[in-house]
Amino acid sequence: MAALPRRIIKETQRLMQEPVPGISAVPDDSNARYFHVIVTGPEDSPFEGGLFKLELFLPEDYPMSAPKVRFITKIYHPNIDRLGRICLDILKDKWSPALQIRTVLLSIQALLSAPNPDDPLANDVAELWKVNESEAIRNAKEWTRRYAMDN
Amino acid sequence: MENPRNVGSQVGESDMECSDNDNDCFDDDDYYNAVDDNDIEQIDPCKLDPENFNYQCLGEEQVERLLNESVEYLSYNLKITPSLAKVLLLSHQWRVNKIIEKYRKDASDLLITSRIKPPVTPPSLPVSRYITCPVCVIPQPSEKFFSLSCAHLFCKDCWVTHFEVQINQGISTAISCMARDCVVLAPEDFVLKHLSRPNLREKYQQFTFQDYVKSHPELRFCPGPNCPIVVHSSENKAKRAICSNCKTVFCFQCGMDYHAPTECSIIKKWLTKCADDSETANYISAHTKDCPECHICIEKNGGCNHMQCYNCKHDFCWMCLGDWKSHGSEYYECSRYRENPNIAHESVHAQAREALKKYLHYYERWENHSKSLKLEEQTLENLRSRINQKVMAGVGTWIDWQYLFTAASLLAKCRYTLQYTYPYAYYMDVGPRKELFEYQQAQLEAEIENLSWKIERAETTDRGDLENQMDIAEKRRTTLLKDFLDF
Ligand SMILES: [Zn+2]
Ligand SMILES: [Zn+2]
Ligand SMILES: [Zn+2]
Ligand SMILES: [Zn+2]
Ligand SMILES: [Zn+2]
Ligand SMILES: [Zn+2]
Repeated sequence: MAALPRRIIKETQRLMQEPVPGISAVPDDSNARYFHVIVTGPEDSPFEGGLFKLELFLPEDYPMSAPKVRFITKIYHPNIDRLGRICLDILKDKWSPALQIRTVLLSIQALLSAPNPDDPLANDVAELWKVNESEAIRNAKEWTRRYAMDN
Repeated sequence: MENPRNVGSQVGESDMECSDNDNDCFDDDDYYNAVDDNDIEQIDPCKLDPENFNYQCLGEEQVERLLNESVEYLSYNLKITPSLAKVLLLSHQWRVNKIIEKYRKDASDLLITSRIKPPVTPPSLPVSRYITCPVCVIPQPSEKFFSLSCAHLFCKDCWVTHFEVQINQGISTAISCMARDCVVLAPEDFVLKHLSRPNLREKYQQFTFQDYVKSHPELRFCPGPNCPIVVHSSENKAKRAICSNCKTVFCFQCGMDYHAPTECSIIKKWLTKCADDSETANYISAHTKDCPECHICIEKNGGCNHMQCYNCKHDFCWMCLGDWKSHGSEYYECSRYRENPNIAHESVHAQAREALKKYLHYYERWENHSKSLKLEEQTLENLRSRINQKVMAGVGTWIDWQYLFTAASLLAKCRYTLQYTYPYAYYMDVGPRKELFEYQQAQLEAEIENLSWKIERAETTDRGDLENQMDIAEKRRTTLLKDFLDF
């Protein structure tokens, strides 16, 4: 494997020294491009109290290409599908090489605080979120309790 | 609105003179004397031939030259680089005069909305000797740094990798600055200045060329597989273009298979519907049906829908299984769908059933004519080999039999149009216009089946008789197109 680019080393160091509040991102022992991520459910959101596991991978051409991020913990959210894939513009066409792992994780945290059912990835969830928000929020809380609190 | 007119009655008197060219198969003067259209209409070539379309098939170099004319003109007039001219042309669909007009009115606004300049002029920062690149975080001497008009500095290596990654994703004219939320585009000369690998430069230029052609309202890539031809026409209309290189026939406007008289948006809707409902419609694709008279199993092996039972000689219609006698007359109803006039008062289930029935009626006919086209191709192949044998055996010459091939290609052209009348009718509102359309469609269908019947029995059919039938079918086709192909 090629030497780790200075950019990735710098980012990793900073993530360790000044972690983002509510987020932990630790590189894998055997692969410095693979991060084990845990995001705390934001306060006043249906995900409050939950700990959500994610995986983040920096592809070969990072930072020219966006990191690949996926939820491992099941989550009831209009912009996150059954496979944990996330619908977030900066992970796709709005990606800029000047963005960092830190900014990506902050955006994901913000997405948990403010779901956007108008740009859905999980259509059934988004549909319910639009027509009956209180029931959708109840489901999200129930899923958080069931899948994100046991560990 | 014009009344349905019986063009066929005039045909008996006309002479077929030009059977070698299936585009002008009938005598225009005779046709125009027969109907009471006035003389003014003859000036417009579209009135004579509703499918008339002026276009040229261009090779890559010719397209390059055509595009460059606009680039040079704009770059000369606005005193900007050809690269920036290209950015402007691409975002304005190559409307040169529109761009010049906008530039004269508010140059800065034009450059900002075209993503050549940033919305706010960047502050001029004092440049130190060493800079840390925000992307690779490597400090380097300032000569190694470059920026677009937005002044976002990045090192050369990062620009190069950025371009490589973008180009490998097929992105070329849309490559933008690397800074967060910066929308300034990297013009061609900036990209090429940094790219050194020849295959990447070539790829980049190939992609930009595609973007330029796709953004140009007068240019269309031939949709044929691996065909390099670009069709050029000054009228952006749903007209028939035929590629001079690979012979693909397509609609200039949407690039799909030619679909007159149906509009681009309607044919798209129809094809999507057919794909979505393919399971429902599957049961239709039967190759055998029972004779409605003696119930013996009949296999369809030709394109003609006028069937004759080999057992009891009963003549019937493959589509509706009705007696063929009723199909040859004015009362031909096979193509028409009779809607239930009281459907609005029926239950939801009944309405859904009715909607499905209606769709299947049109789909079945659409699909059947498409199959007939293929079967008739086989018929033509068989004909070709039989004629070959005849010529070898000294029965006539190739020239003598040529009219049969002309007839077969005319049949294909007519049936093709007929196939595309079904989506048109499906989406039409009930009313007098639909009645007129279905009347003409029925007339066309009846004559096409007559022609197909005669071609299948070509060697025993009288040549004059066959040529009359060709004339009638083509007249029906153009009449329908003249009345319903509107732009
Ligand atoms: Zn750099
Ligand atoms: Zn910029
Ligand atoms: Zn072609
Ligand atoms: Zn079209
Ligand atoms: Zn029979
Ligand atoms: Zn019929």
